[in-house]
Parts: sequence; C-alpha cells; structure tokens
Amino acid sequence: MTVDTSLPPTNGTAPVKKTGKKRKLATEAVIIGAIALIFIVGAPLVLSDFRLNLLGRFLSLVIVALGIDLIWGFTGLLSLGHGIFFALGGYALAMHLNLQLPEGQIPEFFGLYGVAELPWFWTPFYSFPFTVVAIFVIPGIVAGLLGYLVFRNRIRGVYFSILTQAALVVFFNFFNGQQKLINGTNGLKTDTEEIFGVLASSDEARLGFYIVTVLMLVGGYVVCRWLTSGRFGRLLMAIRDDETRVRFTGYDPTGFKVFVFVVSGALAGVSGALYTVQSGIITPNAMEVAFSIEMVIWVAVGGRATIVGAVIGTLIVRWGRTILSEQFPEIWLFFLGALYLIVVTVLPNGIVGWLRHQAAGQLRSVFGRSQPVATYPSLEFDPDVKQEKEALQSSSTKEG
Amino acid sequence: MAANILDIDNLTVSFDGFKALNDLNFHMNEGELRVIIGPNGAGKTTFLDVITGKVQPTEGHARFKGKNLSRRSEDAIARLGIGRKFQTPRVYLNLTPRENLELTCNRTKTVWSTLFKPTPSAERRTVSGLLETIGLVTKADIPSALLSHGEKQWLEIGMLVAQSPDLLLVDEPVAGMTDEETERTGELLIALAESHSVIVIEHDMEFVRQIARQVTVLHQGSVLCEGTMDQVQNDPRVIEVYLGQAPTLTAEQMTILRVAAAMAWADKNFAPVQQDVILSRLSRHFAPDPEFQDELKQELRDYLAKDIPLEDLVPQLKAKEDKEMALTLGYEVIVSNGINEKEAVVYQHLVDLLGLPPERVTQLETDVRASMN
Repeated sequence: MTVDTSLPPTNGTAPVKKTGKKRKLATEAVIIGAIALIFIVGAPLVLSDFRLNLLGRFLSLVIVALGIDLIWGFTGLLSLGHGIFFALGGYALAMHLNLQLPEGQIPEFFGLYGVAELPWFWTPFYSFPFTVVAIFVIPGIVAGLLGYLVFRNRIRGVYFSILTQAALVVFFNFFNGQQKLINGTNGLKTDTEEIFGVLASSDEARLGFYIVTVLMLVGGYVVCRWLTSGRFGRLLMAIRDDETRVRFTGYDPTGFKVFVFVVSGALAGVSGALYTVQSGIITPNAMEVAFSIEMVIWVAVGGRATIVGAVIGTLIVRWGRTILSEQFPEIWLFFLGALYLIVVTVLPNGIVGWLRHQAAGQLRSVFGRSQPVATYPSLEFDPDVKQEKEALQSSSTKEG
Repeated sequence: MAANILDIDNLTVSFDGFKALNDLNFHMNEGELRVIIGPNGAGKTTFLDVITGKVQPTEGHARFKGKNLSRRSEDAIARLGIGRKFQTPRVYLNLTPRENLELTCNRTKTVWSTLFKPTPSAERRTVSGLLETIGLVTKADIPSALLSHGEKQWLEIGMLVAQSPDLLLVDEPVAGMTDEETERTGELLIALAESHSVIVIEHDMEFVRQIARQVTVLHQGSVLCEGTMDQVQNDPRVIEVYLGQAPTLTAEQMTILRVAAAMAWADKNFAPVQQDVILSRLSRHFAPDPEFQDELKQELRDYLAKDIPLEDLVPQLKAKEDKEMALTLGYEVIVSNGINEKEAVVYQHLVDLLGLPPERVTQLETDVRASMN
C-alpha cells in the first residue's frame, strides 16, 4: 500500500518536468533565432557601413568571451593567455588572404627581408578549406598541448593563470621577432587582399564577414549552452567547486579540463580570424597582456557562468569604450577604469548575476517599497516549511 | 588470504623525516565493518590518504583485493571500488542533491560518455531510491548549499553509496551531528555494512560502541591493538594513550572491577551515595595508601560508567586467582547493602559463568561475610 501511494507523484512529476525543460529550450531557440535574424537583416539596413563593421568586430570578440566564460566561469580556470589562440586564428586567415597572388609570387613583405622562397608552413594555407579548418584546429591543438601539460601536473588556481600569461608573453615575443617568417611587429594586413575575388575591405566583403560572424556567434552560443547544460556541465561546475572531491568519485578531471580548454581555445581562434578580417590587420599586439586581461573583464562585467553575460558584457564594454573614446578622447580610459571598479565592488556577480538575484529587491527599495522579509534561505526554500505555510493559508482563508 | 579485501604490510609514510605512519600492518576481511580510533595525530587520516592514493607510501604497500595501490591515481583507485567520505561534508554546493548523486552514480566516467550519453533510466531509479534512503526526497531539487550540516553529511554518504564501491572509507561521519542524527547515521552505516566492507574513523566513543564489531587502535602511526570494543577499552595501553597517563590497574584487574561494577548495577537502582561506598570498597582492594585510593576511585568512576554484559566480561578472565577475585568482589558488593532478588539472579549468573568448583564458591562467600563482620 505504501509503495502504491508513493509511486504516482514521482512518476507524475518526471514527465511534466521534461516537457517544461523542452518548452524552455524551444523558447530560447526561438528568441536566439529572432535576435540573430534582427542582427543579420535589420542591422545592415539601420547602421552605416562604418558602424556595421564596428558591430561585426564586437560580435566577433563576443565569441572569445564565450570561450573565456566556458573555461573561467564554469570550470574555474582563469586563463590570461587567450590572446595566443585569438592571434593564431587571426594569423591563419591572414596568411591565406596574403597568398591570394598570381602563380610564383610570394607576399611582398618577404622581399624586405631578402626571403626569396615561401617558408614551408605557409604552403598549406593556399587551400581555403585547410585554412577554415586551421582557424579552430591550430589554436585547439596548442590549447590541448598546453592544457595537458598543465592539468596533468595538477597546476591550478593562480599558478595556472600565471602560466598562461607566461605562455602569452613567450608567443608575443616569438611572433614579434620573426620578420622573415610572418613579418614580425608589422603583422599581416588583410584589407588590401582579396577573398573569393573580392577586396577584403570592400563593403560587400565586410557585409559577408558580418553575417558569418553572427552565424558563428550563434554556433558558439549553442555549443556553450550544450556543453554547460546536462551532466557534462554539472561536472564542470563540480570541478570548479571541489576538484579533489571529483577525483575521489572516480573522474579524472584532467581529460575534462583539457577538453574544455581546447573548445575554449578553438572559439578564440574563430574569434581572432573574424576580428582580423573586419579590422584589416593582425599584429603580435593581439597577444599583448592587456588585451587578454580585457577579455576576462568582459566576462566579469557580464557575469561569470552565465553565457548571456559573456555576450552582454563584451558588447557593453566595447560599445562604451567606442562611444566614450569618440566623445572624450582625452579621458575615456578613466571611464573604463571606473566601470571595472564598479563591477568588482558593487556587482561581483556581473550584470546578469545582479539582474537574476538582487535587482528586484534593490529596485523595490529605490522606489520606496518595502523589502520582502528576509529569513534564512533554508526556511524560504524548505519544502516542508512551504507545505506548512500553504496549509496555514488555506485554513485561514476558510475561517475568513 | 583470498577473502581479505585490504592488506597493508609494513607501511611507512614519512613527511620530511616525520613518520606519520610507522611500519603499519592492517588486514581486513571482505564484508567487515571496522572502526579505527586513535588520539589526534595518530595517523588515521594519513592511513586513509594512502589507501585512496592521495599520499604515496614511503615504504611497504597497500593491497586492495590483491592489487597494489601504490602509484595509482586517486580516480583510478576510486574506479577500482574504494569510496571515501571526507571529514567535513564535501558536496557540490551549486548542484542539487539529485545532480550530486547522478554525477557520482555515473558508471563510465570518461569525457565522451559524460558528454554524449544521457543518464540511463536505471541510474535515475538508483538515485531516486537513494534520495529516499537518505531522507532528502523533498529537498532533491534545491541547491545543496541550503541543506543543513547533517543533511549534507547524509548526502555525502549517499554519494558514496551511489558510487557503489566495495570498500567504504568513512572519516568521522558524526562530527557536529545531533544525538538523533548520530544514531540514524549509525543505523545507516550498519545497514551499509551488510553489502559493503566499511572502515570508519571516529572519535565519538558512544557512536563507536553503537556500530563497532572490530576496533583497531592507531597510535603514533602504528596499530596499538585490535579487538572488540570491550577488549580495546580495557587495554591499559589504550587507556594510557587516550588519557595521557598509565592506569594503575592491569587489564585483568580492570575486568574484575567491571564484573563487580556489573553486580552493583544489577538491580538498576543505585543511589550515588551507595555508589561511592562501593567504589571506595573496591579501590581498597587494589590500592594500599589513601591518597592512591582517591585517585583510583576517580579512575574507576571514569571507566566503570558503562553497563557491560557479563557474558562479554567473564571469558576475558583466564587465571583462577582472577576468577576468584571477581567472585569475591562481586559477592562483597551485593552483600554490602543486602541481597535483593535481582541481584541474586545476576550473581547466580556470574557464578555459572565463572565455573568455579561449588565448594570453593561457598568458602569464598563465607570468607567475605566473616571479613565484613
């Protein structure tokens, strides 16, 4: 008898929850589709070519922010070296564009350093399919190697951050010094090159890049959502919260961390490639320490471990930076600094985290409404207490 | 040998010369529930660390089902079938109890299967069953951060079971629990011991008594003694390491005193004043000078607070003199305030258990009565 009575509710709730989840997912998919459509169709009609190009650049940066959120927000590994992967992606595409030459010629800059023959590693970049694959595979492989060495030796926390930054400096100096291989400090220009027979800096090409960026961003968002929901996502959070415990339950965290780092690096590569073609040049400056730290700040402003937060944070910081630098060319950096300070001190969970947890209460108090009575969260959430409350309410309404 | 689930031979772990474990030998049968006690710094936690691969042995080795555990990583050892519960509850606070259990329940713990395979319905059922066992059905879908301390401990024990290991290592499961929670935890562990081998590390003696069958005492990194709870508690070496001073009595004398105490407690109705009289009478038998008697009285009060069945105590007495002494003292105790019916029954039981020749019993009784007059 007791078994019979206890079974129906458990059987009943499970399917209901599942359809609820599915409906939620469907709603999210529709919203994302609609936003993407607005960006692809609407924005080119409204914005000037210059502004559209700017928006395209911001959106390509959002992709690397997604990668940072994945590795930092969800897995708890603060990488300060994503500039490496960003630049590798950028260089891959730039090399392909620089090779759009008549048979037998090599890129002009080689002449400056007396190089007559194309370095061997340039050759595969003649092929467009190879380049497309290389844009995310090369950063992925580098991330995989770096990640494997670091995570296998159980380097964590601040040591991991320092290591990634050190790697960044190494790559920066290497790229800076190799004039004969990749034009050193000057970097590779893309806006004077052709892609599919169209000049890369022409409006048509730029619109094309913009649309590809929006599509890649949607793709990146979906990948991140897929990775962070479900069992894998929960395991990432478990690694972030208590890695030792994960180890003692029989999971080897190394594999999981390397995998996430690879995905994160690949996203950075895509981001770098798209940013490069839209800004017209890639130089070793993409591997400056400050830039990699800025990526982390976008995520912090938007809200860690919230994928939407990475998108919103990047757009706000970048857009604000553009507007302020146009209006106040002298002092705009101060505004940027102030923004970071505000976020760190007032909004430790970022904008999205604030909206989700504190915004309602704080807005109420601003408008002079009373706060909901605060009790222990365990009381608020305790299902037993809830049931009791409901019973009390129903009995009092009966009396009334 | 084949039935041993855990064999530890000559295990030494030294940290920069400090030997946390020193030539430790430990064997455990499959299906056993073993409690390990020991004062602070005895090496209990290091002992678990070595088994679970967190610390590598300096010398010697640990074998689980005949497989050497040295140089295996923590996760590989966990997959072999050793689960560990930590001292402080370590659950994933941002996940719900259900998600916590599902993560540990997962059978194939590789990246690909975690990513691509949906949770099998068998595992879902296991998790639902476990939630019921640990009493968290109503709280299955709220973040674990909102659970109380006891509930977190239970959830972690649940996670341990979800892992379905063959050997459970439980480190101080009842620290910080209420009495009621402690008792329920004890029942849970005993239930678990029916299908698993369990090692429990504990400080709480009350709790140890509730669950323990076999107890191992660690001291300064090696096994001090092993046996049932009563054997261990009467062992003067154990008393010494726990109270920091050697007891003035030998193990046999302690047993004799416990027998006498059991007689005194026989009618369950025992005024404190009488208790004092009897304690002083008992101590006089063993201690010559008054100052020493006071000290001994205090000791007796500390050790004799427990009511232990005679069946456990009497077989520990081997020598004839000891048996006679136990009888004499026991008789003296009950005679001192007049024999009532219950005491007579218990006394008769004691006489039967001791198995001394009847004429000797009569003679001793006469002696006691003579000495009292």
